[in-house]
Amino acid sequence: MYSSEIILQTVISGLLMGCIYALVAVGLCLIWGLMEIVNFAHGEMLMLGMFTSFWMFTLYHIDPMLSLPLCLVILFLIGVGTYFIIIKKILKAPFLAQILATFGLGIFLRYLAQFLWTPDFRMIKNPALAGRISLGGIFIGVPELTASIITILSFLLLYWFINKTEIGTAILATSEDREAASLMGINSDKMFALGWGIGAACLGVAGALMSNFYYIFPEVGFPFALIAYVAVALGGFGSIPGSFVAGIIIGLVEFLGGLFIAPAFKYTFVFIIYLLVVFIRPQGLWGRY
Amino acid sequence: MALIEVKGLTKNFGGLMANDHIDLTVNEGEIVGLIGPNGAGKTTLFNCIAGFYPPSGGSVRFKEEEISGLPANDICLRGIARTFQIVRVFKDMTVLDNVMIGAFNRTNLTATATKKALEVLEFCGLASKKNFLAGGLTVANKKRLEFAKALATSPSLLMLDEAMAGLNQTETVEAIELVRKVQQSGITVILVEHVMEVVMPISNRVVVLNYGQKIAEDVPEKIIQHEEVIKAYLGDKYHASRRTH
Amino acid sequence: MGEKKNRWIWLAIGALLLLIYPFFLTLPFPRHLMIMIFLYASMGLAWNMIGGYAGQISLGHAVYFGAGAYTSTLMLMKLGVTPWIGMIVGGFISVGLAFIIGYPSFKLAGHYFAIATIAIGEIAQQWMLNWDWAGAAVGLTLPILPESFLNMEFHTSKVPYYYIAFGIFSLTILATYWVDRSKLGYYFKAIKGDLEGARSLGINVARYKFYALALSAFFTSICGSFYAQYVLFIDPDSVFPLMLSIIVCLVATLGGVGTVWGPVIGAFILIPISEFTRIQFGGGGKGTDLIIYGFLIMVISIYQPFGVIGLSKRFKKKESE
Repeated sequence: MYSSEIILQTVISGLLMGCIYALVAVGLCLIWGLMEIVNFAHGEMLMLGMFTSFWMFTLYHIDPMLSLPLCLVILFLIGVGTYFIIIKKILKAPFLAQILATFGLGIFLRYLAQFLWTPDFRMIKNPALAGRISLGGIFIGVPELTASIITILSFLLLYWFINKTEIGTAILATSEDREAASLMGINSDKMFALGWGIGAACLGVAGALMSNFYYIFPEVGFPFALIAYVAVALGGFGSIPGSFVAGIIIGLVEFLGGLFIAPAFKYTFVFIIYLLVVFIRPQGLWGRY
Repeated sequence: MALIEVKGLTKNFGGLMANDHIDLTVNEGEIVGLIGPNGAGKTTLFNCIAGFYPPSGGSVRFKEEEISGLPANDICLRGIARTFQIVRVFKDMTVLDNVMIGAFNRTNLTATATKKALEVLEFCGLASKKNFLAGGLTVANKKRLEFAKALATSPSLLMLDEAMAGLNQTETVEAIELVRKVQQSGITVILVEHVMEVVMPISNRVVVLNYGQKIAEDVPEKIIQHEEVIKAYLGDKYHASRRTH
Repeated sequence: MGEKKNRWIWLAIGALLLLIYPFFLTLPFPRHLMIMIFLYASMGLAWNMIGGYAGQISLGHAVYFGAGAYTSTLMLMKLGVTPWIGMIVGGFISVGLAFIIGYPSFKLAGHYFAIATIAIGEIAQQWMLNWDWAGAAVGLTLPILPESFLNMEFHTSKVPYYYIAFGIFSLTILATYWVDRSKLGYYFKAIKGDLEGARSLGINVARYKFYALALSAFFTSICGSFYAQYVLFIDPDSVFPLMLSIIVCLVATLGGVGTVWGPVIGAFILIPISEFTRIQFGGGGKGTDLIIYGFLIMVISIYQPFGVIGLSKRFKKKESE
């Protein structure tokens, strides 16, 4: 049927893309686990990360790899800003309001972007990272490979930060039990803002990395967000490493599904995974349900 | 006639045995008080009977039928109603609407449910507040509402989970009166309580739990003389002065 | 009971105004506008049954709209069956869908349920895009049939469409009104208010959630069938998109969830805004009106999640205090 080379190629491509999904998922998981609010504007924030990188390149000729720190900071600020302007006000709101608030933000950002920058697909031509390398007959794009390496490093950095630093532990405490944490002097307001900032920062990094090899357009974020929801559910609510691994698994499933069954349905498989997970094993693979 | 018979009821939570082979029989028309120190397993027993979660072992027979493991709504349909320790009133609905939800247990018609709900509100002394939003009631009235909701389902057995906690003197007296009225109307009552001034006067029998096991069962006047009961509440080193009521 | 009498009078006046509307506004656009308002109000009311009353937030309601549109259209094109029957059949198929989708999903709490509905909506759209027998991405163009009530096609004027839409609108309002006052409505609100509390009072939660979804699906589906007959062209992007699900949800939320008139008010506010912005900012297709939508959704959720009706209740309270 398919040669082992094609299969291997697909597997590698799936893993590489999966790393991006993983980082996006981790950002979502952090926010979700911290305050049980789902960021339905997650995809649009990713899109903003990508556009930031694009405009830095197009207007100021700054290479995406150089503007990556800037993307990180800008998205961090967007995350924190979102918390203070919107999220803080709906912490105690009815459930419908919580869902719709971020959803509204997402729609607002998406169509604002479409209005300002047109729906056209953009591409960064000739970034510093380009080309492919060949490992035993398997072609791996340099931007994709670098992206995976950096996402894995980012994840490890984040994991270390959450588990080994004082602030990180404070965030963990707040997500476990907000009241107990505040009784111990942890300002939950600041923790939430930080959580949103870091969650969005992940998107800044992912966006900057993707701008090296992916089309950039206002609606680009949506499928990534949906995949992130699936990844968080699959990995297990509240488990950051779980979300990361789940993201990679989903990348694999998407690409292999596209290869063996039909490319048009690759997202369908991802959603079917979601439905299977929540119906059969609601706590996901590693969750603390 | 035994209305409800619990035999060998056991409930495990992971490694913790919250209920350990408990036997309990309640006869029609009785008020049985269920007492014991914190963590004795009273609410767990309650929840197992009410179908909140299934028991790990043993049987519960209600009106000669096995009901253990049935879902909560099924058990309510069969005639067991319960209140919650932390009241679960529907905050955004009126007092009347809250009680109507209970009343719909026995009818499909809004008019019938409304009539029943108004009767129950009258019975419980909440008639004047029928159009208030449940969320805005005082704690005592919320407890009364919790009570009324359960009563509106027309149960044969009413189970009250620490319904008297947090009430002041007057409110407690009123609550006791209400439970007596309920008994007089033919409904059997099991109440879980901490407050001794409530349990002793109205219970026909008292059952004591400790560490998941039943340690004593007797009429209220005699239960306080049981060694095990005294030890359970006050510890080994205390010797009770013997008193009869 | 003076208040009740007042309400009946207002209702009668409103109905009368709506009935004579097409005779005063004879241009096609105002009639089209009102038809769209009726359509979205009906869908908003339908969504309201599961989302507003029972509190289960569905973001994939387009599935039922599309199912209705495709069922009646396919029955017309392949079997020559009148769209009226197609509409009813579509309704029942949607109820069937609600059963298949609903029962497993109802075990899911809050966010997970919402995401599941999005996932199912996307799967449905993807499927229809690839189903050749049903037109795939190209869609289905309805055959132009002689103008008649039976064919539900009218070519010379929008007026018959107007009255059919008004009929659907009235039907959905009546249905909501009936639910609101019946055991169903009470049980739905109990489920929304406190799930375990509801259970302990004898409510079979899964069954009643299904009733809510089934009702919701049925009426949404009817709107889909009507839409197909009105526009005479359907494709997966026009009848299955996520945007449709969002707008339906927004209509109900803006006006006031869990009430009879909320979605109606929401439609009367939102649809004119949408149609006018589309004309003003024209061209670029769907875009600018959605910026306003997004902004509106945010504002409502943050400041007045109970919608316009919630606002008016607040004013009323201030008076009686």
